[in-house]
Amino acid sequence: MTSISSRRLAKELAEIHSEGCPVGIELVKADDFTCWWFTIEVMGESLYQGEKFTLQFRFDSGYPISSPAVQFVVTDGKQAPIHPHVYSNGHICASILGNEWSPVLSVVAVCVTLQSMLASCKEKQRPVDNDRYIRHAPDNPKKTQFHYDDDTV
Amino acid sequence: MSSQEPMWYCHECNSEMRPLMVPDPVCASCRGSFVEKMENPSDDPREFHRGGTGADGLGIDPFLLVLQGLMDRGMSPRRPSSPRPNATPGFSFQVRSGSNGPATISIGGSRTLGNDSGGDGDRIPTLSENGEDGQPSIAGPLMAHYLMALLGGRGTGDIFGDAAQSGRMGDYVFNQEALDQIITQLMEQSNTSRPVPATEEIMQNLPKDVLIEGSSMLEKDCAVCKEQFKLETEDPAEQVVVTLPCKHPFHETCIMPWLKSSGTCPVCRHQLVPQPEHHTPPRDSPNTGSRPSSPSQPRGSRPRSPGRESDTGFLSSLFGMIGSGSSSNRESRNARHNRSNSNPENSSSSSRNIDRHLPGGWDELD
Repeated sequence: MTSISSRRLAKELAEIHSEGCPVGIELVKADDFTCWWFTIEVMGESLYQGEKFTLQFRFDSGYPISSPAVQFVVTDGKQAPIHPHVYSNGHICASILGNEWSPVLSVVAVCVTLQSMLASCKEKQRPVDNDRYIRHAPDNPKKTQFHYDDDTV
Repeated sequence: MSSQEPMWYCHECNSEMRPLMVPDPVCASCRGSFVEKMENPSDDPREFHRGGTGADGLGIDPFLLVLQGLMDRGMSPRRPSSPRPNATPGFSFQVRSGSNGPATISIGGSRTLGNDSGGDGDRIPTLSENGEDGQPSIAGPLMAHYLMALLGGRGTGDIFGDAAQSGRMGDYVFNQEALDQIITQLMEQSNTSRPVPATEEIMQNLPKDVLIEGSSMLEKDCAVCKEQFKLETEDPAEQVVVTLPCKHPFHETCIMPWLKSSGTCPVCRHQLVPQPEHHTPPRDSPNTGSRPSSPSQPRGSRPRSPGRESDTGFLSSLFGMIGSGSSSNRESRNARHNRSNSNPENSSSSSRNIDRHLPGGWDELD
């Protein structure tokens, strides 16, 4: 019996292959149902013009009931965007990845959301507690209980 | 680590300190110039005063000698120690930890704690309560703080084992790193804004329909698995459709696991049980199903980010976490204000269930 998560991910992947990703988002790899990579870039005018970031999704067997672990890839010379909600280790403080996750959301929906999060950024800066956070951040961003107190970015 | 550099000893005021280099070394306490670097344990300048009965040959490192010196001075103020040629005895030392640069701690001496030279108004009672005969003195608990600060800064594992190495000992932390760790831990444990699951009772009472030929359901999708409802399924359980009060239909097998983690509709976030304020969708826009961005702006007292700017927010969420009383107050208040809530009693009891599966919770990965 195939698990709910792999059925759902297979469906999402099939849609990505048939319909393609939204503009600015490209599938890099999805070799299995545990880890997918995408690149995202912000189209049009933004602080991130010409920059391309790699986004990693990790799924557990509870997907889509449990949220995917989403972070920017910061290895092999890749870097996380400088953004008030993105830590330099690639972790992202976004409510939809935690408390506000809903199984209705999908991998592509998360990509689009993060893309628009970057697009609407007004000032390139790291979160104020970046240094403190990355010193002891768990490997998996889902282990961090982020608090979301800023809806403007 | 820099704090492992040997201390210096001032022969004028008998203090152990790191000298001021101006440019020749002078005592950080009394500005005397008769100072000596304690590099060689076998030639400890303090032995000169103690009469040579120190820890020589026991293999105790200079740091322990410093500690011993501290104990001699601080913990037993009544015991006359070595002769003090100078009228302003005291000493200071530096603790280096992490990136915060050295912190100089001075004990005794003319401008520091417990000395009688200041007026009564300047004195800090807890520090000087033992003060007698003009000796520098320091209360035991405070001394413990200083000692732990020293240990933490030094990060030594050989005296107190791993506890000291990690900068934590019991309830004490004595460096920035250890404090960070604790705050991180608390943030992870904090469940003040986590979703509240639906109760068994609520889930049992949801209307369930078995799909039949010609059902209007067959044109709809389950928003969780994103598949259309259909009659021919491998698993007959997938023919059972649960419709939430907001009229959104789901496979029973899809929605029940979700409701166990969050008592909300995945599509419109309709609350089957009252959720923490954080979660409440704006009243005037109930249909925010695929709203993928940030949470609704809070009204009133949502705990603010502990890890970010607000210290008071951190404390309040901390207290909210510890004091289950205050937390359940908040929930029952929520319940009263929420007309859609059908079962406030059950919800507040289940909301304390910390072990439940969390959406965004961590199952086995990889």
